[in-house]
This record gives sequence, C-alpha cells and structure tokens, in this order.
Amino acid sequence: MEAGALENPVLRARRNRADRIGDPLLRGLSGLAAAIAVLAIAGIVYEVVREAWPAISEFGVGFVTTNDWNPVTKHFGAAPFLYGTVVTSAIALLLATPISLAISVYLTELAPARIRRPVATLIDLLAAIPTVILGLWGILVLGPVMRETVEPALQSVLGFLPIFGGDPSAFGYLTAALILTIMAIPIITSVTREVFETVPGDLKEASYALGATRWEMVRQVVLPYSRAGIVGATILGLGRAIGEAIAVAQVIGGATGIDVSLFHTGGTLAAQIASQFAGTPSELQRASLVYLGLILLAFAVIVNVIARVIVARGRLKDTFATPTEAEAL
Amino acid sequence: MTNRLLGAGVALALAVGVAACGSSSSDSASGGGSSGSPLVGAGSTLVAPLMSKWQSDYASKSEETVTYGAIGSGGGIEQITNRTVDFGASDAPLTEEQFEEAGNVEQIPWALSGTVPAYHLDGGPKKLKVDGEILGGIYLGTITQWDDPVIAQLNPGASLPSTKITPVYRSDGSGDTFAFTDYLSSVYPEFKAQVGTSTQVKFPTGVGAEKNDGVAAAISQTDGAIGYVGLAYALSNDLSMPLVENLAAGFPEPGVKSVEAAADAVTEIGPNNEISLVNPPASAKDAYPISTYTYVIVPLDSEKAEALKRFVTYAIGPGQEYGPDLDFAPLPKQVVAADKKAIAKIGG
Amino acid sequence: MTEHALLLDHGNLKRRNRFNRVVEASATVAAFLAVAVLVIVVGSVFLRGIGALSWHFLTTPTALFGESGGGISNAIVGTSMIVGIAALMAIPVGILVAIYTTEFAPGRVAHSIGFVLDVLNGVPTIITGIFVYGLLVAGHKQSGFAGAIALAIVMLPIVARTSQEVLTLVPGTLKEASHALGIARWRTVTWVTIPTAAGGLVTGALLGVARVAGETAPLLLVSSIFAPGLLTEPGEALASIPIFIFQASESPRPEAHTEAWAAALVLIAIVLLLNVVARAFYARSRKRMGA
Repeated sequence: MEAGALENPVLRARRNRADRIGDPLLRGLSGLAAAIAVLAIAGIVYEVVREAWPAISEFGVGFVTTNDWNPVTKHFGAAPFLYGTVVTSAIALLLATPISLAISVYLTELAPARIRRPVATLIDLLAAIPTVILGLWGILVLGPVMRETVEPALQSVLGFLPIFGGDPSAFGYLTAALILTIMAIPIITSVTREVFETVPGDLKEASYALGATRWEMVRQVVLPYSRAGIVGATILGLGRAIGEAIAVAQVIGGATGIDVSLFHTGGTLAAQIASQFAGTPSELQRASLVYLGLILLAFAVIVNVIARVIVARGRLKDTFATPTEAEAL
Repeated sequence: MTNRLLGAGVALALAVGVAACGSSSSDSASGGGSSGSPLVGAGSTLVAPLMSKWQSDYASKSEETVTYGAIGSGGGIEQITNRTVDFGASDAPLTEEQFEEAGNVEQIPWALSGTVPAYHLDGGPKKLKVDGEILGGIYLGTITQWDDPVIAQLNPGASLPSTKITPVYRSDGSGDTFAFTDYLSSVYPEFKAQVGTSTQVKFPTGVGAEKNDGVAAAISQTDGAIGYVGLAYALSNDLSMPLVENLAAGFPEPGVKSVEAAADAVTEIGPNNEISLVNPPASAKDAYPISTYTYVIVPLDSEKAEALKRFVTYAIGPGQEYGPDLDFAPLPKQVVAADKKAIAKIGG
Repeated sequence: MTEHALLLDHGNLKRRNRFNRVVEASATVAAFLAVAVLVIVVGSVFLRGIGALSWHFLTTPTALFGESGGGISNAIVGTSMIVGIAALMAIPVGILVAIYTTEFAPGRVAHSIGFVLDVLNGVPTIITGIFVYGLLVAGHKQSGFAGAIALAIVMLPIVARTSQEVLTLVPGTLKEASHALGIARWRTVTWVTIPTAAGGLVTGALLGVARVAGETAPLLLVSSIFAPGLLTEPGEALASIPIFIFQASESPRPEAHTEAWAAALVLIAIVLLLNVVARAFYARSRKRMGA
C-alpha cells in the first residue's frame, strides 16, 4: 500500500501523529461497523429461536405440518399459515412473472428511447409505495371490486373448479395474492431488465440477420441467455412476497384454517404474526407465533440466498461473453 | 501488526463508550419519576370509548397523562404480564394460569357494559329475536341462511330474506369473545363441546376481524353479516342489534338499563373480584344476558403505585358519571366498596 | 436452430409477423398496465385523500376515540423523529461497512460481509420487529427509540450495498495518485474517495430513508401504544404515519378512512420525493465519475 511512499525519507517525515492514529482509527471504526452488521443478523436468529423455544420444545418439528390453531386446547401448528403463504405467493408469482417479463421485453426491445426511462422510473416507483398504503387500497378499493365483480365473474366462468368455489369475499387468498402481485412486479422487472440489457448485441443481430421476427429473436436469444437471471428475479420476488406482513394482514381475513377456495379467508406466516403479536392468551401461544416467525425467517433467508446465487452466477457468464454495448441508462 | 492492534483497541474503546452512553441516556429517560412520564395501559377495546373520556378529563383535573392502547383484552393481559405497560384492561377475568404468569397483580372491575350481537341484513326486519340455539347454530355453521326455519320460528311474521349468513368473530384475544362464548357455552351445549370459552377460540366458520372496530367495519360492509361487539360500538355505528333471549324468556332491549338490571341481580363477587354477568338468574326479568364487567389489572408492587391508585380511584368514582352517555352502566355500590378495598392493597 | 431452415418459407412469414405483432402489443400493454396500476393506486390516494388534507390536519394531533376533527401532527413528528434517529445510526454505519469492504477487508472477508448484508436485506421486517421487541421492549416498555433501532437495521443493508457499489466506482487512478503522493489511507478515503462518491452515498442514504419511512411492521410491535397529543420524547412510544394509516384502515368510520387516505397522500409524497431526489443524485454521481 503506502510502502512505496514510505521508502522516501522526505515523504516519511510527513507522516505525523494524525496519520498514525487516523489509519487504525478508520480501520477500527469501519471494522466495527461490519461487525455490527454481522451481530445484527446473529442477534436476530438467536432472539427468534429463544422466544420460540417453549413452542419448539412442546411441539417439535411436527409443528410445521400440524393443521390446527386452537387457543382453548393450546394446540398449535403452522400448516394453515404455510399453506396460505405458499398459495398467495405462488399465485402472485404466476401472475407477476409473465407480466414482468413482458414489461422487460417492452423496455429493452420495443420502447422508443425517449419513453424508456420515464416508464422504467414509473415502474420502479411502484416498488417504493409503502405496503400499508397498498393494504389500505386493498381494503377500501380492491376488496369491494373483488367481491362485487371479479370473483363472481370467475365463479360464473370457472366455478366448476374448487378453487373458485365458495362465496365471493372482499378478503381472502385471492385479494392478498393480487396485492402481492403488485409488489412483486417491480422487483422482477428491474432484475430481468438488467439481465436483458446484458445480452450481447451481436447475438441479437445474428438472429435478425437470419430473418427472425422480434418475438422470435427474444424467444431464441434473449430468454435462453437470461434464464438464470429470470429464475433469480422470480425467486427474489418470491422472497418479497412471503415476507410481507402488513398489507396481507389487512386483506386476508385472519382465518386459521385451510380452505381450497381462493375466495376464502386465510392467513400467512407473516400476517398471523402481525395481527396476533399484541396479545395472546397464553405464553405457549406467543411462543408458537414466534415459531411461525422462525419458519418464515428460515424460508425467507434460504429463498433470498438462492436467488442471489443464481443471479450472481448469471452475471458471471457475462465476463466471458463478448463485450456488450454501453447500457443506455 | 501494531496497526491492527491499535485498530482493534480503538474499536473496543468506542464500543464500550457507545454502550455506556446508551445505558445512561435510557436511565435518564425512564428515571423521570412518576410525574412527567405517563401512566401507560393497554387492553380491552370495549372500555376504550370510556377510557378515552377518562384520559382527557383526568388530564385536565390532575395534570397527569394516561396513555392507552386499545389492543384487545388478550393484549392487555399479555402486556401487563410482561410488565411492558403499567396497567392492563380486560373484559375477561384472568384465569388461574394467567394469574400465576402475571405474578403479583390485583384485578379490579371498573366499568360495566355488555357485548351485543349486531347484524347487517338488507331487506331484513329491524327487530329480530334470537336465542342461544340460533346464535350457536350460526357460529357453528349449522344455520347458514337468514330465512332458516329456526330463525323464522322465533320471529313469526317477519320477512326474512334468503341472504347467506356471514358470522364475524374477533380474531385477536378479546374480552368480548370471552363474554360471547361464555354465553353460548352456557345455553348451547353443542357450542361448549365444539368451541369452548376463552378470549380467543377456534370458530369453525366465519370471518375474523381485529378489535371491536374491525368487527364493526366487517358487519357494516357485508350484507348478511352478524357479529358481536361492545355495546358502545353497536350504538355509535348504528348497527342493528337483535334481541337476545335471557333466562326469564324475556327479550330485553340491549342498553344501559338492561345491563344495570343484570348487574343488580348478581351480587356475588369472586375471590379475585371477578363477577360473571352472563345469563343472570331468571328472577331478573329485564336483565341483558351478555352483560360484562371490565377489569383493570394492576401490579401490586409497581413503581407507579401511587399514580395508579389515584387513577383507578378516579375511574370508579368521578369517572363513572361519563358512563351512561357512552353506554356504560354505573358500578353497583357493593362493587365500588370491594374495589376500594382492592385499591388499598396497591403498593401496600 | 432447425427453425432457421424454415425462414425461407415465405408462406409462413405472414403468420409469424402477425404473431410477432400480437406479442409486441401484449408486451406494450403489460408495461402500461403496470404504469396504470401505479396511476390507479396513487390516483386513489390523491382523489380520496386530498379532501381531508388541510393545514389543520397537518398541525393537529389525532383526535381521541370517537371524536372527529383530529389530524396527524403527532404522527408526522413521530415518524420524523424515529426515521431521523434511525438514519443517524444507519447511514454512518452503512457507509463505514462499505468502506471496510472496499478498502480494508481481504477479498473473502469482503465477500462474506456482502453475503451477510444480503441476508439482512432479506429478513422480513416483522421478524426484525420481533427481534427488537425481545431485545428492548419485553420487560420495559415500547419506545420510539426501539422503533428507530428496528428501522436502522432495515436501512443498514440498503445504505451499505449502495455505498459499496458507488465506492467501487471511484476511479482507481485517483486513489493511486493520492498514495503516490504519500497521503495516508485515511486521508485518501476522507478527502478523495468519499467526496468523489458523495452523490452515490447520498443516493444510498435517501433510498434507505425512503424505504423505512413507510415501514409499518416493526413499529406495530414496538411503538404502537402511545399517549394522545403531540409527543416528542423518543424514550416513550411515538405515533407514526404508517401506524396511523394501519389503524385507521381497520376502523368502521368513514371519517377514519378519509383521514387514512390523507395520511397516505402525505406519506406517498414524502417517499416519492425522496426517491426522485435519490435518483437525481445517482445520475449526477455517475456522470461525475465518467461512468
């Protein structure tokens, strides 16, 4: 580092006391900061396990598959909430991924340069809306629309499917899933857009040269090339969806059972914690809530890590590909 | 090498310094003493309207601030057990187990009201009679439509639409749930067997909402919905209330008068000051069958014992005059006497 | 690849072109659908909230139960204090973490810290709330300060990651020139690297603040029971705009709903403004570094 400079006797004389303290001070401070970050995550894991312990020792691993949440008999299980989390997130991804891909294709291939940036910015701003406001909108605007229009329509066309059976309701799995879709779209879009922009121009041009239409080019070049990134983006969106507590708590109805109808009220891991944490009749129930949190934490961390590994690996491919054109930011 | 040691040493010193600063500043924040830092309470949403009045009146009379979070009786019990608040408020008396977990606390009834069913039925009758069998059947999911024969039988001549019934219940820990399930369990054995009595139960069907506000909102927004709320909420939100049958086979109008009748009929006060007003004896002809006291739960050994004593004394005394306007009945004399004895124990 | 052999079959071309146009149209529709949702949501907030928005609303604390005519002054002050304290903690720490990983840490350590930051970023905020509750609230009481700590933990990875990105972009030539002149490491960092990266660092800070200004979940657990009136003591629980919106959204009273929309309008305005400013700083900083 400064070795070269220090060999010069003139310059070495210039290193005064301030420098002798300054370097180690900066190193120490910044190292401390890094330690804080590590401590934070370690602390979170420790605290969650500690608070959940009474429930862990009472119910063991079977908690994960138990379909019951009964405060009177003090028998609790995570199954209804795992079910709700999986169902709402799966639907959100099912809807968000194609829409996000379409948006990214539009932004990278179709949009005239002038409106590319404003539209991209607007979609990114969708991610900035605080989720409690999406929940408010869900309760007062989307919910009634679901109950009056969307769900009856779905039922009249596809009512033979059990997932569209039951009574239309403003609150339930479907409404929550739609809110999650709105949250997931900007995330998936921004990552896939980044990945699409790294596709080497020559590959695209080669495809055109062979007479492909734009869609064919996308299908033959862009999508396969970006496969890792798309998967990574989708999983990142999944991570966001499963962790959302507030907006889902506002629109999912707070039921503690499993129901096959998407119109029915239900619960998710995060939403159950948010609505019940303030007061539980017994300590065991509170510990069970935190046990739900532990499952959620494990789920979220694993999903997040997988997503980043996949995206990073996708990016790594670039360094060995042909040089790309400058991205038009 | 020395660079690194120095760096580590500096980091350590800084960490210790920050920790020391942090703890001393929190000491000064909480060491403000009983005057200055407000009395913090949490719990029952049933008592919240009256509590709100008490907060503003008490502040003007005594210059002391009372903070209250209406998070549900379950929340109140939990928070006072963990001593994250100075007092808890619950419509449901503490169970033995909860008393054990809460430690050294006193339970004092400080307001009197009722939990009432409320419904929303477009095109339905304004006055509807229900009994335990009907309410129990609705919440067990065996009665699913408003024109069910069982309902029609109790209401001859009423035109009942065939709307689907949506039962609404409290998903959080609630004293109203306790009173309601207590009533249903005592008049409908099926309900007792399947669901039971508690501040939080597993209802086999229906829609969950949080707090009295949430249930009131769900009822007003859903045609065909029926739920249970604190009396004050039904009246202030203009919800239709059915007439519930009591043990004297009467159908008293829910309100301060019928709650008072129930309180007058039950004079027995339990060892922990708990008094159950659910289904008072048949001798009380006009008693409302789902009346309930609401209790304040106070630690006996709190730092703020004096402030707590002052506030609770205010609540059962001058505070009671605001009750009737907000649909709370005045505390009967023997309850006030028992309360005063209990208050004397605080901080003693 | 075999498909290309069909490309000379002109009979197919019209169909392929038609299909292509359908796909292009769908993609365009999707993009504008997303923009439409944004417009609908923000539009709803604006239209339904603007009526209740007034100077009185912004300067009066929330009314007591059942009474009307209240406002959100206590929520605005509470949010400002909680977010302010959180920023004071998270921004320096975040930038320092970035400095550590870009200047001092050996490659593997830097990579691991980056991993830790990513994990921290993926922790659902309700869990962060449980953590701070167990640490600071259980056994004591709720406080705005606890809320600030929770928000600081949420902010930290955002600030750190963005700062990392920006610090890496500082041209190596500048740093090398500084060392060649015998200037100590810490001076280089403080007087050369940071000022050059300043725009990006501000971006990271603003994005972090924008993110946590609207965070509800942790506050629900650690700062949701607060006294009436305007509170300014962070040692006690403070009101906040997201909590106000959350509680008002579950009320049966239509006035509460209108107040919720108005508060949402205030919050969206703050968050969007912070985002726009952050982007402006980012663009400027990239230009400065010749990227």
